[in-house]
Amino acid sequence: MFKTFFLKEISMGIKRPMTYIFFSIFTIIATIGVVNENIVFGGAVGNVLKNAPHIITIYVANMSIFGLLIATAYFNNAALRDYQNHFDEIIFSTPIHKAGYFFGRFFGALFLSTIPLLGVFLGFLIGSNMGPEEGMMNANRVGDLQLNVFVNNYFLYVLPNMFVSGAIIYAIALKWKSTIISFIATVIIIIGYLVTGTFLTDINTEYLAAITDMLGVRAYQIDSKYFTSVEKNTNVISVNGWLFINRIIWVIIALVIIVSSYISFSFIQKNKKAEKEKKASKKDQTIKIYSLPRVQSSFNFMTSIKQFISFFKINFYTILKSNTFKIMLIVGALILINKLLNGFDFYGVKSYHVTYKMLDFNRPICTIVGMIMLVFFSGELVWKERSSNINGVIDGSPHSSIVLLLAKITSLIVINVVFDVFLILISISYQLLSGYTSPDIHVYVLDFIYSGLLMYIAWSCILVFIQIIINHKYISYFISIVLLFLFEFVIVDALGIESFMLNLGFTPNYQYSDMNGFSEALISKNWFSLYWILFGLLLITIGSLLWIRGSLKRIKDRIKSAKKHFTKKYALILITIVHLFFLTTSFVYYNTQIINPYKSVNEIEVMQVSYEKKYKKYENTPQPKFGDVTYKVDIYPKERNLLAKTHISLLNKTNATIDSLHYSISRYYAKEKWDIVLKIPNAKLVLDDKELGYQIYKLDTPLQPGSKIDIVIDAVYKSQGFENTVSNLRVAKNGTFIECSYILPTIGYDKNNELMDQNDRKKYNFPSRKRMATLNANDDINTKQNYFTEGESDWVNVETIISTSSNQIAIAPGTLIKEWRANGRSYFKYKNDHSSLNFVNFMSAEYKVSRKKWNGIDLEVYYHKDHDYNIDMMLDAIEESLKYYTKNFGPYVHNQARIIEIPRYYNFAQAFPGTMPYTEGGGFTTDLSNKNDNNVIEAIIAHEMAHQYWAHQIVGANMQGATMLSESFSEYAALMVMKNRIKDDSKMKQYLNYDFEKYLKGRSAETEKELPLYKVENQGYIHYGKGSVVLYALQDYIGEKKMNTALKTFLDEYKYKESPYPTTHDFLRHLKPQVPDSLNYLITDWIKEITLYDYRLNNADYKRKGNGKYEVSMDIEAYKIKVDSLGTETKVKQHDWVDIGVYRDTDKKHLIYSKRVLFTDEKMNFSFEVDTIPAKAVIDPKRLLIERVIDDNSKEF
Amino acid sequence: MELVIKNLCKTYSNGVKALDSLSLEISNGMFGLLGPNGAGKSSLMRTLATLQEADSGTIYLNDINILENPIELRKILGYLPQEFGVYPKITAKQLLDHLAILKGITNNKERIELVNFLLQKVNLYEKRNKSVKGFSGGMKQRIGIAQALIGNPKLIIVDEPTAGLDPGERNRFHNLLADVAEDVIIILSTHIVEDVRELCQNMAIMNQGKLICKGRPQHVIDELNDKVWQKLIGRNELEEYSNEHMIISNKMVGGKPLIHVLSDIKPGVGFTLVPPTLEDVFFSKINTTREVV
Repeated sequence: MFKTFFLKEISMGIKRPMTYIFFSIFTIIATIGVVNENIVFGGAVGNVLKNAPHIITIYVANMSIFGLLIATAYFNNAALRDYQNHFDEIIFSTPIHKAGYFFGRFFGALFLSTIPLLGVFLGFLIGSNMGPEEGMMNANRVGDLQLNVFVNNYFLYVLPNMFVSGAIIYAIALKWKSTIISFIATVIIIIGYLVTGTFLTDINTEYLAAITDMLGVRAYQIDSKYFTSVEKNTNVISVNGWLFINRIIWVIIALVIIVSSYISFSFIQKNKKAEKEKKASKKDQTIKIYSLPRVQSSFNFMTSIKQFISFFKINFYTILKSNTFKIMLIVGALILINKLLNGFDFYGVKSYHVTYKMLDFNRPICTIVGMIMLVFFSGELVWKERSSNINGVIDGSPHSSIVLLLAKITSLIVINVVFDVFLILISISYQLLSGYTSPDIHVYVLDFIYSGLLMYIAWSCILVFIQIIINHKYISYFISIVLLFLFEFVIVDALGIESFMLNLGFTPNYQYSDMNGFSEALISKNWFSLYWILFGLLLITIGSLLWIRGSLKRIKDRIKSAKKHFTKKYALILITIVHLFFLTTSFVYYNTQIINPYKSVNEIEVMQVSYEKKYKKYENTPQPKFGDVTYKVDIYPKERNLLAKTHISLLNKTNATIDSLHYSISRYYAKEKWDIVLKIPNAKLVLDDKELGYQIYKLDTPLQPGSKIDIVIDAVYKSQGFENTVSNLRVAKNGTFIECSYILPTIGYDKNNELMDQNDRKKYNFPSRKRMATLNANDDINTKQNYFTEGESDWVNVETIISTSSNQIAIAPGTLIKEWRANGRSYFKYKNDHSSLNFVNFMSAEYKVSRKKWNGIDLEVYYHKDHDYNIDMMLDAIEESLKYYTKNFGPYVHNQARIIEIPRYYNFAQAFPGTMPYTEGGGFTTDLSNKNDNNVIEAIIAHEMAHQYWAHQIVGANMQGATMLSESFSEYAALMVMKNRIKDDSKMKQYLNYDFEKYLKGRSAETEKELPLYKVENQGYIHYGKGSVVLYALQDYIGEKKMNTALKTFLDEYKYKESPYPTTHDFLRHLKPQVPDSLNYLITDWIKEITLYDYRLNNADYKRKGNGKYEVSMDIEAYKIKVDSLGTETKVKQHDWVDIGVYRDTDKKHLIYSKRVLFTDEKMNFSFEVDTIPAKAVIDPKRLLIERVIDDNSKEF
Repeated sequence: MELVIKNLCKTYSNGVKALDSLSLEISNGMFGLLGPNGAGKSSLMRTLATLQEADSGTIYLNDINILENPIELRKILGYLPQEFGVYPKITAKQLLDHLAILKGITNNKERIELVNFLLQKVNLYEKRNKSVKGFSGGMKQRIGIAQALIGNPKLIIVDEPTAGLDPGERNRFHNLLADVAEDVIIILSTHIVEDVRELCQNMAIMNQGKLICKGRPQHVIDELNDKVWQKLIGRNELEEYSNEHMIISNKMVGGKPLIHVLSDIKPGVGFTLVPPTLEDVFFSKINTTREVV
């Protein structure tokens, strides 16, 4: 019996085209994913192969989200087919077994639903073979496929996911017997998956994501987050880690569901609820002699309006009152509230509930859930008449199809509006409840219109059109979803087309900033919205012809009927819309392609190639360096224009006579386009490559060694019209922030213009490129350059005259010498107090200023008027930093220390001499009212203040390790400021957890190779993450004093010294005398090599001893691992000092005993005595050593 | 009013000929369309109601070319399809009001009056604010009838209207139709022969897409005068009789088959001449083969 139903189910499914359509779609997606170099989904970049086991798993896992829809179709059909065909009463009265029927159908559907996902496997097979053979990609980008990758993915992802979701859907379908409810269940599963993502934002809650995500995607994400490229290429998923736990939990849940569904399933129909017929009223309804009341039918424009309103009401109410919509509202509200309660994490700290933060939460929900609703309800509405069987009457009534269509589209839009407004109201209430009393209502409303309403209009038209054209509800759903989620992927990633004119239904995004409002992107966003809305209207106008009225089935009939509706009036409307669309298209095209052209990634690649081919030969041509400089910068915030004139001297610091000057005036890697013109006296422009931006000037009198000339450089940015994506946000209406490098040319050949990606370089037969010069103290060229200016200048004097509109303050580094007004504008003159790097920022915005003095130094915070939350904290942080640094490192050379707020587009803080821009999205809005939270503001400001020493007094040679000397040291310095203020090891540990995460996750995403700290090549996860962790641990092992002594002597030797610039070797020379011989190994393990530890506390117990004390015994398993640059790990012999200890409480708050012991073997036992009853034993309680898994380091007694 | 159908053809994609060169003229009054399941009645009705394209042929209502100009016809059409469903979550009153607007009754006062009137007529006024989705089959059917009468229709097409109605409702429905039938064409498709005899001035019988009989009901019946014979036979004799005689119908009476046979002369012993009924006409026309219905 089981077999019969099972096979029957399969044979029926095999005959349906759906199976093949879905199968081919997955095959195509995976094939393209493998062969297309631009698609890096899952992280197939650098050394990670395009068909690495990790990548296959990522594809399978993510595709199984789409696979859910397919599962729904199969399981729902298996459960409900008999009911929907009214065959139930017949089949259930035959002598079939319940189990055979129930499970036969279920497993049949299960088998079927796994078939489409096999397409992913086929796609990988095809892609891995076809790609290299057809020359679409380099053969070394793919590896051999192993069978067990497919098998394991099938049994760990495809089958369980279909089983779990199938069980839920099957049970729900049998319970409620409604296709709609089954689909709602699917949508809820998908939304559930999205919600679990919010747990990933903080490392303390990510295990929740691993468990609660039914599809196991998050679990694998967490399992693999520290994978290096070698592991990604070789590790095949298997039964371990979070994924395994997740699978077990969910399969058990699914079993429970399916068994209980089986138990409650019965062939016997439950008694239908007896309809309570109300007794007719006592008054007898006598049949009167009657005639129909005389009514007047009229058909004119007013009639159409009334019909429209009536249709709208009907369509809108039926959805508004539907359970689906109510569930969506609840789901939307829950996601939002969840995000509001758990979101905003940066080092575990939340931010104040300023309106733009709220938009960051509710807008994505409105977009995602809104899109799901649009897709779902577009089908519901288009099929409403047919599914409620009223189509005969409606279709035969004298309304114009376009009226009905417009009414449907309007209800679709209004439904989303209701949802959107609902979430906005929740957001506002949340702001009010949490004490933020001035929500910006107008910002909500405008954001709703720009990013919500306009998009709903465009997509409603598009989705309804799909439903009309395809004329099959579920296939249309699938196509809609594919278009929504994959179209952008294909257009932008695979084909490299960046124009929003081809990216179906999408428009440029703005980021709302309290400082700069909706930014310059708004204008182009609105134009693109208009463009897509007109496109949608055009589709709908065409669609209205093909609208099914009556029982048309064949395409021939539809065309015939369409011809009939093609009236003059229709043609007129069509022509009008086509014209409007054409005009808008032209205007948008003119603005985004003609007056604001941009280069596609591929075009830039071609330029990079020719540039390197043509001009690489000049790389080592001796050139004069930049010397002292005066900038004159005029900012026009309202017009978004900036004019700069730089007077700069050129110094020949070489031993050679220089007769020609080389400049690169285009930076391909930067989006911002500046017109740069050089005025060099007594020189002739002998080469002017306008396309590639390379110029050579021949000097009439060559520049002798040691001599100089003064030149003038004009740089202009003028904005006009609107762009596809805003290229130059740097020049803003409120919040201009540029660096001097934008308004200067690059001296000579610009290495940064080269192709960076090693695989791309291979394609063009370029030798592989070094990210940085190899660490070598004897390298004569690179030790003469500092890494900051890449040899363009050394220590120089800087002066700036900067002007802006009268309502703004303009800022540049240095002491403000003079301030005046002219021509209705404000002028400022700044001068650096000390020679410095030629690293200068020019800023302008409407600022309020808060000031304080410390030891004669002006401490200043420039901030946006509404962001006054943490100003005092910032001033304190500057002061704390100055105290520690002046005491431990040496004098602070500037007369001022300024923190300046910048718009949140810049998600960072940065240190210029005495002047430190800091993002509004960071410290200015961070909520640190809870004193126990990590004080990230202090950490960041202390870091930037530390740069005033480490980068601005001492700067590394232009080679490996340079950023350790600036970034790692600044991180270390900031940690010391924190440590000395809070004096609490457990809080420092809590803070450092995030640095561990930064390092371990970062090395997993490495595209080339991981290097030891002292050879870091500007890799953030190494110089920030590992740098923090290692230097903090080092000061714990050798002592803070010794560490600072090493730093100070190093600084004293190299402070403001020109070439040769110091390298990390020079620092290690200063460090060595401070490290006792017994700990010398730390320098090798931590700084010169890559070392990981793996410790496990296998057993821990204690005995009460006769003397009233307790003897603790710990069984420890320990490994020390060395990692090479590709991530290959080797276990090595140990001789390491490691802390072990016990806590009095299980929360690991009170450490009652800790001892540094020597680890030498893989299995060891340690015992010691403590005075009170211990609760928990732990290895490395302060977490100083780099371990990937730390949960197994501790044990409760 | 004159509805003229000429050479109407329709073949479905599965090869079934639903309408096979059908021609028919219908004038004011009630017109009954009889035929067995699958005869093409609903196809014809749907085509008349502008909901289906014909492959060839023409249909004119006065001077409106229905196939070319469906919009004009819809303005004066009342249509109750065979399956009449309703929107979910909508009350009876809202539904009729909506349909009245669709039919161009834009004056609010008139429309409210009309809706109330129709609700009373179909005896659903008491339930006007209840969701129609929850109505019983008969009640829904009554709403369907009410909506077909909205907006001064000149052509009313009702497909199987009395199925599911109890006798009282059926009577009320008949009265309702008779009232409006004065100067409009009402086409009533049914397989309840009684409905046609009681109500219709004219009728036609369809089978396999063709018209096989048309005329006034009494006139059609009269053609069979003195030709219908009946006999009560044993159950095991049925096959024998069907081989020898042209049986137009058989039904069980007291557990035994009562057969009707078409014959100019007395077909044999035990047969008695009976006055023909419309049912005899129906069966005699469609049972062209010797198959017993």
